[in-house]
Amino acid sequence: MVEVIFIWIAAGLTLAIFSFLYKDNPFYKVAEHIYVGSAAAFWFLYLWFFDVEPKILGPFKEVFHKYGFSGMWAHFGAEQWILFIPIFLSICMLLRFIPPTAWLSRWAIAFTVGMAAGLGVTGALQGYIIPQTQATLLPLWTGNPLTSFNNLIIVIATLATLFYFFFSKEHKGVLGVFSRIGITFIMIAFGASFGYTVMARVSLLIGRIHFLLFEWLSSFFH
Amino acid sequence: MKKEVPLIITFISGFLLIVALFIPHEPFGSLQERFNDWYIIVSGFTLILGVDSLLLYHWRKIKTKDKDAPYSIILIITFITVLLWGIYSGVKHGNPFAPASTFLRYFYTYMFVPLQATMFALLAFFIASAAYRAFRARGLNATLLLVSAGLVMLGRVPKGEIVVPFFIAITLILIAIIFVLEAVARVSLYERLLYFALALISLIAIIPLSILLREYLPALADWIMNVPQLGAKRGLFIGIWLGAIAMAIRIILGIERTYLK
Repeated sequence: MVEVIFIWIAAGLTLAIFSFLYKDNPFYKVAEHIYVGSAAAFWFLYLWFFDVEPKILGPFKEVFHKYGFSGMWAHFGAEQWILFIPIFLSICMLLRFIPPTAWLSRWAIAFTVGMAAGLGVTGALQGYIIPQTQATLLPLWTGNPLTSFNNLIIVIATLATLFYFFFSKEHKGVLGVFSRIGITFIMIAFGASFGYTVMARVSLLIGRIHFLLFEWLSSFFH
Repeated sequence: MKKEVPLIITFISGFLLIVALFIPHEPFGSLQERFNDWYIIVSGFTLILGVDSLLLYHWRKIKTKDKDAPYSIILIITFITVLLWGIYSGVKHGNPFAPASTFLRYFYTYMFVPLQATMFALLAFFIASAAYRAFRARGLNATLLLVSAGLVMLGRVPKGEIVVPFFIAITLILIAIIFVLEAVARVSLYERLLYFALALISLIAIIPLSILLREYLPALADWIMNVPQLGAKRGLFIGIWLGAIAMAIRIILGIERTYLK
């Protein structure tokens, strides 16, 4: 019975959002605000149960249960003491709420920005530039004409796209020809990515229509 | 003090991560993992700032009796209800995201997923309407965009091959029209003849291409995704990441300071 009630709620919310296709209306606005409110609470809970609880409270829990609040401090190891750095920075982030100490939140922001920059360098090198360059250095003759042709296209498309964004020299002569080839491949890639995105959205739409037809409507007959 | 300390923190955190990449020994070896955890913890707290800002915005609307105040009340009530539901499930099952919890079973399955999926499904209609306005075969590049998008979409749809003959016919007629317009605009007789010939070839190609694509459309869509699309995307992403590295180095060295404003 509870399941059927929730199927009706889900169907109501689905139809309320689809009603926007007609025009902006109160049903859509109600569903939209429910979505924003529930998403905020959902991610708040996710932060607590997957970040704060296991990463901050977890390492202290065992010591606390064993020695109590007053005794735990003497039994903290390096693992616990070092956690006071992110705890301090997290508190700094929340100090934004108190105007006289709001400037301290810059420390936390500086840490996240520095981390993002450091991870940007290492992540870009390890995750993208080196593996993608390695994957592009393909044999131009493999014995199979079709594979060789595909490899050639991949190499030309990668180089030509890079050349299209090379602005240190005017796009004339050989560079001009190469950059024109580059924009041709970019257009094909954008078109293909667009088509792929549309299909992903359409599959979600099919999923919702399937839910309305086969879960919601079938609940009438149960 | 107010500017120097953040700059030092940024430098140390960013620089240590880069050093850790090149020195895979203690204490640097485990540094990346530890810093990653800290990053998740500290950046997670920005969510609290976001939630505070959202709730304050709607609270102000309620206080000023804005015309949208009833919706703001709904938002705040939903936030509190979902939060309490999650806490209750968390206390009962240890984690609200546990398979047995009512939070995951009812709220996530029958409220959060439908709302999120329908919001994104709604985009299918808006993307289609945007494509109708933007995808005009104005030139060669725009035509390539249109054709590759069309082929990928049709290639991924079950029974898409049935529509292919019509799609090919329309596309090639459009291309032929472009060639005819180009021919009319040219002064030299040689160029005019060349463009008219290309227009004629486009029209003649309708039937053989329709037959071929009807057979090989899914394979062609896969080829577009795996070869030209992959190559161009690689070029784009290598460029983007090179730019990201340059920007990251500027931030670490304190040349870029806009985040402190």
